[in-house]
Amino acid sequence: MNDLLLKFNTLSKNQLRRLDRACGWSLNADELAEAQRQFRRMGRAPARGELETIAQTWSEHCKHKTFSGPVTFRDGGKVKKYKNLFKETIVRATKTLNKKWCLSVFTDNAGIVEFGHSGKWGLAFKAETHNHPCAVEPYGGAETGVGGVIRDILGVGLGAKPVLNTDTFCFGRLDSKQKLPKNAHSPERIMRGVVEGVRDYGNRIGIPTAAGGIYFDEGYLLNPLVYVGCAGLIPVDKIHKEVKPGDLIVSIGGRTGRDGIHGATFSSANIDEDVSASAVQIGHAVNEKKALDALMRARDLGLYNAVTDCGAGGFSSAIGELGSETGARVRLEKALLKDTRIEPWEIWVSESQERMILSVPKAKLKRLAAILDAENCEYCVLGDFPGDGRLRVTWEGESVVDLPMAFLHGGVPNFEKEARRRAVRISSKPPAARSLSYGELLRRTLAHPNVCSRHSVITQYDHEVQGGTVGKPLQGRYGDGPGDAAVIWPHAATLDQSDFCGFAVSHGFNPALGRVDPYQMALHSVDEAVRNLLCAGADVSRTAILDNFCAASPRDPRVMGDLVLAAEGCHDAALTYGAPFISGKDSFYNQSRDADGKEYPIPISLLISATAPVADVRRSLTINFKEPGDPVYLAGDSLRGLGGSVYNELSPSGNNAVAALDMKGAVKLYAALSRAMAAGCVRAAHDVSQGGLAVTLAEMAFSGGYGASLDLRAAARERGLTPTELLFGESPARLVLEVAKGREGDFLRLVRGLPVAGLGCVKEEPVLAVRDGGTELFTEDLAGLKASWRKELI
Amino acid sequence: MKRPRAIILRGTATNCDIETASSFKYVGAEPELVHINQLLAGERKVLDYDLMAFPGGFSYGDDISAGKIYAVKMAKLAGDFKAFIKGGRPVIGICNGFQILVKTGLLPANRANAQVSTLYTNDCGHFIAKWARLRVNKKSPCIFTKGLPDEIELPVAHGEGKFIVEDKRELAAITGGDLHALTYADNPNGSMLDIAGICSPAGTCFGLMPHPERNFFAWQHPDRPAAQRGAEAAGYQFFRNAVDYVR
Amino acid sequence: MIIEIRTKEKYAANEERGFIGRMAHAGLKVRAARLSRLYRVDAGFSRAEFGRLGADLLTDRITETYSLSRPRPGIRGWRVEVWLKDSATDVVGESVRGAVADVLGKEPQAVRFGHAYYVACGSRAALRRAVEKTLVNGIINKFAIEKI
Repeated sequence: MNDLLLKFNTLSKNQLRRLDRACGWSLNADELAEAQRQFRRMGRAPARGELETIAQTWSEHCKHKTFSGPVTFRDGGKVKKYKNLFKETIVRATKTLNKKWCLSVFTDNAGIVEFGHSGKWGLAFKAETHNHPCAVEPYGGAETGVGGVIRDILGVGLGAKPVLNTDTFCFGRLDSKQKLPKNAHSPERIMRGVVEGVRDYGNRIGIPTAAGGIYFDEGYLLNPLVYVGCAGLIPVDKIHKEVKPGDLIVSIGGRTGRDGIHGATFSSANIDEDVSASAVQIGHAVNEKKALDALMRARDLGLYNAVTDCGAGGFSSAIGELGSETGARVRLEKALLKDTRIEPWEIWVSESQERMILSVPKAKLKRLAAILDAENCEYCVLGDFPGDGRLRVTWEGESVVDLPMAFLHGGVPNFEKEARRRAVRISSKPPAARSLSYGELLRRTLAHPNVCSRHSVITQYDHEVQGGTVGKPLQGRYGDGPGDAAVIWPHAATLDQSDFCGFAVSHGFNPALGRVDPYQMALHSVDEAVRNLLCAGADVSRTAILDNFCAASPRDPRVMGDLVLAAEGCHDAALTYGAPFISGKDSFYNQSRDADGKEYPIPISLLISATAPVADVRRSLTINFKEPGDPVYLAGDSLRGLGGSVYNELSPSGNNAVAALDMKGAVKLYAALSRAMAAGCVRAAHDVSQGGLAVTLAEMAFSGGYGASLDLRAAARERGLTPTELLFGESPARLVLEVAKGREGDFLRLVRGLPVAGLGCVKEEPVLAVRDGGTELFTEDLAGLKASWRKELI
Repeated sequence: MKRPRAIILRGTATNCDIETASSFKYVGAEPELVHINQLLAGERKVLDYDLMAFPGGFSYGDDISAGKIYAVKMAKLAGDFKAFIKGGRPVIGICNGFQILVKTGLLPANRANAQVSTLYTNDCGHFIAKWARLRVNKKSPCIFTKGLPDEIELPVAHGEGKFIVEDKRELAAITGGDLHALTYADNPNGSMLDIAGICSPAGTCFGLMPHPERNFFAWQHPDRPAAQRGAEAAGYQFFRNAVDYVR
Repeated sequence: MIIEIRTKEKYAANEERGFIGRMAHAGLKVRAARLSRLYRVDAGFSRAEFGRLGADLLTDRITETYSLSRPRPGIRGWRVEVWLKDSATDVVGESVRGAVADVLGKEPQAVRFGHAYYVACGSRAALRRAVEKTLVNGIINKFAIEKI
């Protein structure tokens, strides 16, 4: 290998490929050629450390070259060209909206929006994925995923204090009969490991895990998805960071070891049988907690000028990023190590967990050190930021890297990807006759893995630490109903218990729709996330959203086609809902070979995470019925189409059409409902999503322990809608509301002219009876419905 | 009136320190977060305070067993802690704090100051966070639970909350003295006699697994707004009582 | 020195039931099982000092016992010993290393944390399969099975 390195500038394409393989860089031919060109120009051979630095800096994980690269999209005869897909869709929407409450978008480790009324606080929000590590070692993968996204929040601006963790998982079906390849874990084992990893890390570090979801689909059998998110509070005067020439480079938290070699490039390599042990790590929540506590104190005392997390690429990325203007001089022998058996270049690129890099004025080092010592948080001074724009890394005086920063951050070659709309046959005929009663269908829908209770997972997370989880994942009279959004009152960060401002966080996710129509999937997902926020009583006119795309190999033009359509959907939805994207992340190559050697790609998967302010957390809403006699209303039009529905899985209807979302109508509706909520007319609200209206009604009823007697006759609906579609269809932009008895008149005034229909009343008797005019649909007792729903997933 | 000084003890991964301090502040105390390192270095002295709290969390990762490493670190200062309790100054240990009090032998109080009970892994085998209904023992000398209704709700969040006392005489001392101030109405962890919290015979040192600081305000309850009657909820009373006691 | 910590028999029913259930899920019928926690303390301490660590630090005196030699839990079958590979960070081991210093005033070179399972069941091969399916991950763990 060393021979090849010495002769790097004269290697052939094939030799370069072999070298790349041997070193595990995952650079493609164009990138290798570009690196070669650069070193030829410098007239010298590269050092191993330099090529490692390039591999990390140019990796998919760090540069997101697929999404931010050029794409040619073909849809029938139409051709559309993008120079930078990400900028021309997601970022463009944010720029067009130009909301003044967005304080930092797309530039830092997380997006930041204004928080509260005081003008003193910002809310930082970020989500990312940790899919490949979780497939290989679910527990460690989930732990380090959680730890990583928390560090994004610690490393945004001068550091935000984390107040909420979110998690959304996709696994293969637990009852899957599919034969797994050797070394692949069963979905049950992956789920258990992932849940335990999120639990043990989040609980130990003291951040409530209070929002998210679990989704089962055979498409995730070999490639589970683990989305982890974190939100934190930051004083607005701590958002700006700037490395000053002469500042010291200080690493705090965990030590550096061989355990963290090649994680960034690993995230885009196909998982096969010889994954090296060093690609998988165990999390150390206690070390991160020490860093968190020390960092927050040091931030408030102004002891550093900049901070960022050590994530993918380790020191090389973190120091490279902080020093991109000033350059950096790094002496690797100063690093605290887990084990001395490590090469200098390995120290430089190791992704060992729980490390943060600070840019510290020399005069403040002593005070910083005192705080770190008081928290037993280890640290080391690695060098300084000299101001000459050069990156010089040495070990005991020996050169490891000596490059101009401009080379690393400017030189990434990008090449055009082909994209094509996937051919999907759509049938919108009326659903086939059903063989089961509506009552039985409802019970089966409630028991479906994508609908049933998540309590056995949620109760393993300390979702109320910090005492601010006002909107809980489990809510209602018995503390077990499925909440739509987390509502957080971050008094443990603001230290102000007389300020009742809070924020809500929710998600929208529906890959089953993406199989039919990726564009509509994106619209529906944004709508679902916004609607969930609305159900908690948040101010949805101030929604900010995150995009997290996961996809199979971008070499497949159909995968790229899905991505283009979904990204366009994101753009259009963000504009219409007035909800800017503030941060995002993507993960590609979620594709593996199954036991027969056949490629097994995941469906296009877009997680929309959303947040909006809650003006007074004391008045935020929950989903459960609260008072017998209160009228119940359905808001929104019910549309035809059972594509992607749970109903279709249980009882294939032959109809796979996906209803087109009327975004303008939805925005108008939500604005009116928002006013009704602010006026105190609404006692409970719950969205209609997976499983359809019947599930929404059942959940509101059994979470409150009150029944209801309802007639859907007045419900606004598309012509020709069958009762099956009305009960189990999943068309978007609908929610059910319990209106306070005495406030019905006010409510109706506020929603006049909108598709809002009275269905009947909440009843003391624990029975849910639903009819559609003259047709009785079902009469079910709540205990039976709840028993069907309350399954132990784990 | 003078604001009593409350020492809120913390260490690595004591996670509930801030909300516990805020609760004391709300009822009129002057809380200070103090790291065990500061006590060990002599920068702070426990006897300079009027009230003491061991908050919840995962001190030192709860490695070995919950609260154990923190308890080991406290050993050098055992005299100060004993004197604090003996002097009748209120001490509350919540969740991990209760585990620490039990592992140090400060609760249940015993002559040898030895660990006579434990909080062991829940019967379900893992961490569990849920709301629990609790019965208040009206005959208990516990100063923290005075004035509470017969039954209250508080959330629990622990992996090791199963209260076990081996020695029959020790158990008899608890039941005979009504030191079990709180019991579970629906035991979530397998605790002996459904015990959720116990106090010293004087009632001033109290440890409990549930979190009163998480049901301090009405809007922290999962059933809102129907259950919202007034601002303060059951957990508030625990802190109010402690401050009233020292005033 | 390896210090082995066991739950006293009268408190061990839950953890044993959990283990047996997990193995059943992986397709192995286990007749009986006992579980231990293992702390490998690399240090030149005296036997009395290791004993003190066992008694005062690593054991819950109400529910657990410790031994400095291999215990005989009265199970005929196999003993499975599981550790993290040396390349994997041992979080518990690191934190115990610090705690040892709190108790003895001196720090060991290293502490590693592991598990031992005493299992009465069918063949070694069947046990190995079940262990690989549910208990260990070859990427981060090492394990050994021996006859007892």
